[in-house]
This record gives sequence, structure tokens and C-alpha cells, in this order.
Amino acid sequence: MDPITFSIIRHRLYRVIDEAVITLKHVSGSAITNEGHDLMVSLYRADGSLLMGGVGFLHHLTSAAEACKAIIRRFEGRIDEGDVFLTNCPYTAALHTSDVYLVAPIHYDGELVAWSACFVHVYDIGAMVPGGFSPDSRDIFTEGFSSPGLKLVSGGEMNTDVMDTILNMVRAPEMVALDLSSMIAANNVARERMVALVDKYGPQPVDQACQMLVDQSEQSLRERLRELPDGRWESRQYFDIEEETYRVLLAMTKKGDSLTFDFSGSSEQSKYGINCAYWAAWGGFFAPLFPLLCYDITWNDGVLRPISMIAPEGTIVNCTRPAPISLATVGAIQSVNNAACVCISKMLSASEKYAKEATAVWHGSHFAIFMFGQNQKNQEAIGIMTETFGGAGGGRSFADGVDVGGEIPNPIGRMANVETTESHFPVRYLFRRATGDSGGPGKYRGGTSLEYAIQQHDSPDGGIHYVVSGKGTKFSMSDGLGGGYPGAPCNFRWVHNNDAAEAGKNVNPFATSLDQMTGEQQSISWGVFPLMDRDVLYVRSDGGGGYGDPLMREPDKTARDVREGSVSKGVARSVYGVVLDAEGGVDAEASMRARDAIRAQRLGQEAAE
Amino acid sequence: MSTRISASLVVNEQGEIACMECGHALGPAGEPWKQAARLSQTPLQGAAGEPYSNAANVLLRRFFCPGCAALLDSETALAEDPFLNDIVHV
Ligand SMILES: [Zn+2]
Repeated sequence: MDPITFSIIRHRLYRVIDEAVITLKHVSGSAITNEGHDLMVSLYRADGSLLMGGVGFLHHLTSAAEACKAIIRRFEGRIDEGDVFLTNCPYTAALHTSDVYLVAPIHYDGELVAWSACFVHVYDIGAMVPGGFSPDSRDIFTEGFSSPGLKLVSGGEMNTDVMDTILNMVRAPEMVALDLSSMIAANNVARERMVALVDKYGPQPVDQACQMLVDQSEQSLRERLRELPDGRWESRQYFDIEEETYRVLLAMTKKGDSLTFDFSGSSEQSKYGINCAYWAAWGGFFAPLFPLLCYDITWNDGVLRPISMIAPEGTIVNCTRPAPISLATVGAIQSVNNAACVCISKMLSASEKYAKEATAVWHGSHFAIFMFGQNQKNQEAIGIMTETFGGAGGGRSFADGVDVGGEIPNPIGRMANVETTESHFPVRYLFRRATGDSGGPGKYRGGTSLEYAIQQHDSPDGGIHYVVSGKGTKFSMSDGLGGGYPGAPCNFRWVHNNDAAEAGKNVNPFATSLDQMTGEQQSISWGVFPLMDRDVLYVRSDGGGGYGDPLMREPDKTARDVREGSVSKGVARSVYGVVLDAEGGVDAEASMRARDAIRAQRLGQEAAE
Repeated sequence: MSTRISASLVVNEQGEIACMECGHALGPAGEPWKQAARLSQTPLQGAAGEPYSNAANVLLRRFFCPGCAALLDSETALAEDPFLNDIVHV
């Protein structure tokens, strides 16, 4: 095939996905999809293998391939033009029941030529608590509707009995119907555009180009791996749920042109729904692998071929049915993301050529808050506080982490405006801003995190409720790199009877920090809590990991951090060894003395042995 | 010619792991090197300002070069857990 045609077809495939994502967003009505970009659309080969990975949460790229393959097995001989299938079973392919996959075959002249697949986190799935994150569930049976595969659309006609059964089992069925419609629309657009592509170039050339694309990705990744040194790198993630502590352990071995991710030694599966299933762990390390190792390689099945995984059964990274799993995405999967980011970055750091691609961990812990209740328009409002997608960038070998800079597993993640959230939920923000001293110190500082506080406002029921499924309050999950410190942990506080929240009235002045709040503060991290009357919820997310030795940071950069409120004077002095003069400039002599003193202290430590 | 093996370490011509900054040797290549470093092991809680204050009983381990005091690596750990061990073949 001539390289120009090949290139055109490759770019057309990208555009097919782009257009399907736009469709998904235009039809969907929920903030988690529109504002948070908790979504994914990708294209698959006729056998269900990944052809062209799209944007959104990248751990879905491979899991949706397993969804296509599961549908192919289940519906063999009954897959027809215009069908759309649904699966959201985590023990089949999905990450958790809330992330519903809709996969659709693409036919040309009666022949199956490809699949399109997409997901959104649906408005509700009928779990114990609204929104799908179900901290009180102790098995999958209480985590809502779950299907290993069903035909939602048959030859272009909606199977209304199936659709109505799903909608009969969820809260806010009109919103869930919109979610499912948005995915049907996205699949329709993907199909139309793919058919147009095949029409223009012919089925055989398109098939050949697709095969070449997959082979090219495999070759490119294998070449890259051969350029990197052989070795074995370890990382360890702790996370806390209530009084329990869990570990995700990863040893990544690179030999020649292959890479193995070994999770042996990770904690046994939990009674809480933070477990993940096999394909979720598999997708979990591809989420950082695609952007860190394959930034210039098409994300498809070819990338998967040099990679293998060991995930012992019955552990937190490969749980056994019917273990609960509804919080997998903010639980074990995110720890897999982080652990893989560390190991891949350490491997990149060991190469002159690729060291600049390494990064400390970005946004190691989602701090997902799901709100539910009647809003000021007397509608049933369910949804996530999209700040959890705000994130914080990790430090790199050449630059600081981006403040509130997102996360690696979702390159298009973002958060809603304060006003958007206030228009959907009966809440008022007291403040929302970047958090000083939250970025992990380093030669290149980790990005700062967010802090915000909300209270109920104009609520017909006197307030609403929320689900907190926070990990990373007792441990830092955004590891540093090359000596850089980890980012600061998360923090959730329930402030009782805060004066500034009296009866939901607009009391001035607002508390503009946690210190100013008069009510009693209670640390929380897990379960369902009220935001009623004069309650305030304060949330602080985790900062990005730092890169390198903080004593190597240019003092002027730290002076700027202090001016901008990213670093306190105390930390500038004690961690960075930077002393400021009365005008806020660097006192060079005092700073040199401070750094010498810190170095002397370091050398005064015992040997590690 | 020394060969880079991490953000802070190289393997020198003698086949030893060494500090990238000052060249201080930390043992043979392919073997664990952290034992040869100076170790500071303190609660993460007090590591770097107020936002770290709610960290539990987790430690921040920092490994320093005995030659020039450069911070070579850091990790968080519960006291009973071993050092993370990275091996690079050169
Ligand atoms: Zn040194």
C-alpha cells in the first residue's frame, strides 16, 4: 500500500473517533460526561481487538476490546447490521457497573468489518446509593444492574423491553436513557463514518491499512523497548479504607523487546468495593503506558503484544466474583495507574534518550464526591463533583508539575465551573482554589492540588447527601521521582454547624479558609454523609509528585512559589533551603547557609544498612 | 564513560553504581545500592507543611549520597516494608 493512502486512512480513523466523541457529548446531558470527560470512544477490528484507541479514560481502551470479544463469543451467529450490544459486568470486561459499554458491529456489504465501542459513567445504575459508587456494598449483587451482554438495539430498532427493564432498575431513568442514547448516537456516527471510509477506499485496502497499522505499532514499541535498558523496577502503593490498609505492589521487568507487569504480593481482595478485576488491572497499566511509552505510536492491539501481566487471583488487582467492585476506578485501578507510571518513568529515567519523558505521579488519588438529592428546581440531582478530574501534574526532568493539571490516565479530563455545579446542585461554594504546600517538593515541584468548601443553598429538603469514597487521606499516592517528595495527601472534613452556613442564607463574610470555620470539624473519608442545614464539606485533593532534590531547585523559582502562595515561607526554608528577604526576594547568603546546614544534617544520618 | 541508570545514578567505568553529581560509588552494578546511602526515615506527616499533616503512620524514606549529600531517591513506606529495589542491567 502506498504510504500516502495508508496515512490518509490512519488519520480518517482518528477523525471517526473525534466525531463520535463530539456526538457523545452533544447528546449526553450529564456533567460527568460533558464537563468531566469521563468517557471513551474507540474502534476495534472485526475480531474485537483494538484498532484505534481514542481519548478519555485510557484504561477503557483495552477493556472495551474485551467487551467486544465477550459479545462476539456470546452472540456468535446473531450479530447483525445495526445491532448495538450492552455490557457492564466487571467480571466480563467493564471496570465497574456504572461504566456501561455500548459496542456496535460495523458491517459493509453484509460483512462484519469492525466494531465501535464507547462508555460513559451513567447517571445511576441502581446500586445501594445513587450514582453507582456504593461504599456499603459487600458484594456485587448490591452494586446495581449488571449484564454480561445483551442486545439493546436489533437491526436499528430499539429493543424496548430490554431498555425498559434497565430503566426500571435505576434512579432518574430519563437521565440514564439520555446516557444510553448518547452512546447509541456515538456508535451510529462511528458506523456511518467507517462505512464512508470503506466506501471510498474499498474493504480490502482499508483492512490492509488497519492490519499494517497494528503491525506498525507493535514494531515501533518493540524498537523503543530495545532502545531502553533491561531491568526490573519496583513501586508500591498504599491505600486506606476505614481502618484497613491495602497494598498494590508492582515489579516491572523489561527484557529485550518485552515488558512484564507483576503484581504478586499485592493485598488480598477487600470486603470494600475498591477491588478491580483482571481486565481492569490490564487496562490500568496501559493507561499510563500509552501516553508515556507510545506518545508517537498508534494505540492499538500491536502495543499489547509485547506486554504481559501477572495478577494473582483473589487479590485486590484480580478479585474473584462476587467481590464488590463499584469503586474500582477510584480504588485499585488508580493504584495500578500510579504504580505503572512510577515503574515506566524509572525505566525511562535510566535512558539518556528517553529520560525527559519520565514523570512523577500526577493526581494519585481521585477524591470522588457523588451528590444526590432534590435540587433547587425540584429535580432529582445525582452526580459527581467534577473537581476530582482537576488533578495535579507530576514534576518532570525539565519542568514543574502543572498546578491543578489533570491526570495521565485521562488526557482530556477537566472540571466544571463553580457556577455550573451550583446550577445543578443546591449548593454554594465558599471557596475553590489551589492549595499551598500541596505539590511534592523537588528540583521540579509537583503541581498544587485543589481545595474547596461547599454548603447547601436553596435546597427544598434543607440540603442533600453525598458519598465520599476517598482513599489517599492517610497515604500520599502521588509518588515523587528521582528523590522528589510525594504530593500531599487528600483531606475531607465535615464541618458541623458552621456559622457562615446559617439556614442556607447568604451570610457574610463567607469563611474563606478552613481555619475561619467556626463549627466542629470531623475527618471523613468513606461512606454517605449529610450536607444539611449548616453543614460544610471541605475537600482538599492530593498534590502532584515532585522530581529531583529540592536543594537543587533554583532559589528564584521558590521565591516565586512563595509570592504566588504555592509554597509557604516555612517550607521554602526547611525543605528547599531558600531564605527570603523582607521584599520576598532570595537572600542568597542566608540561603547558601541554610542549604549547607541541610546537607550537613543529611550527611549526619546513619548509613541505611 | 559512565552510563545513566536513574535520574540520580550512573554506573561508572569500574562497573559500580555511583552518584550522578559527585561520582561517589555505592556498590557493584546490578546489586541493591540503597544500603550504601545515608538514610533519613521520618514520618510523612511532618515532611513538608500543613497539607501533609493528616498522613498516618507512613514514613518518608530519603536516601542521600554519602559523598555530596544529594537526595538520590525517596519512597514512602510502612516501617515493616523493605526498600524498593530497582535493578538496571548495563
Ligand atoms: Zn554525590
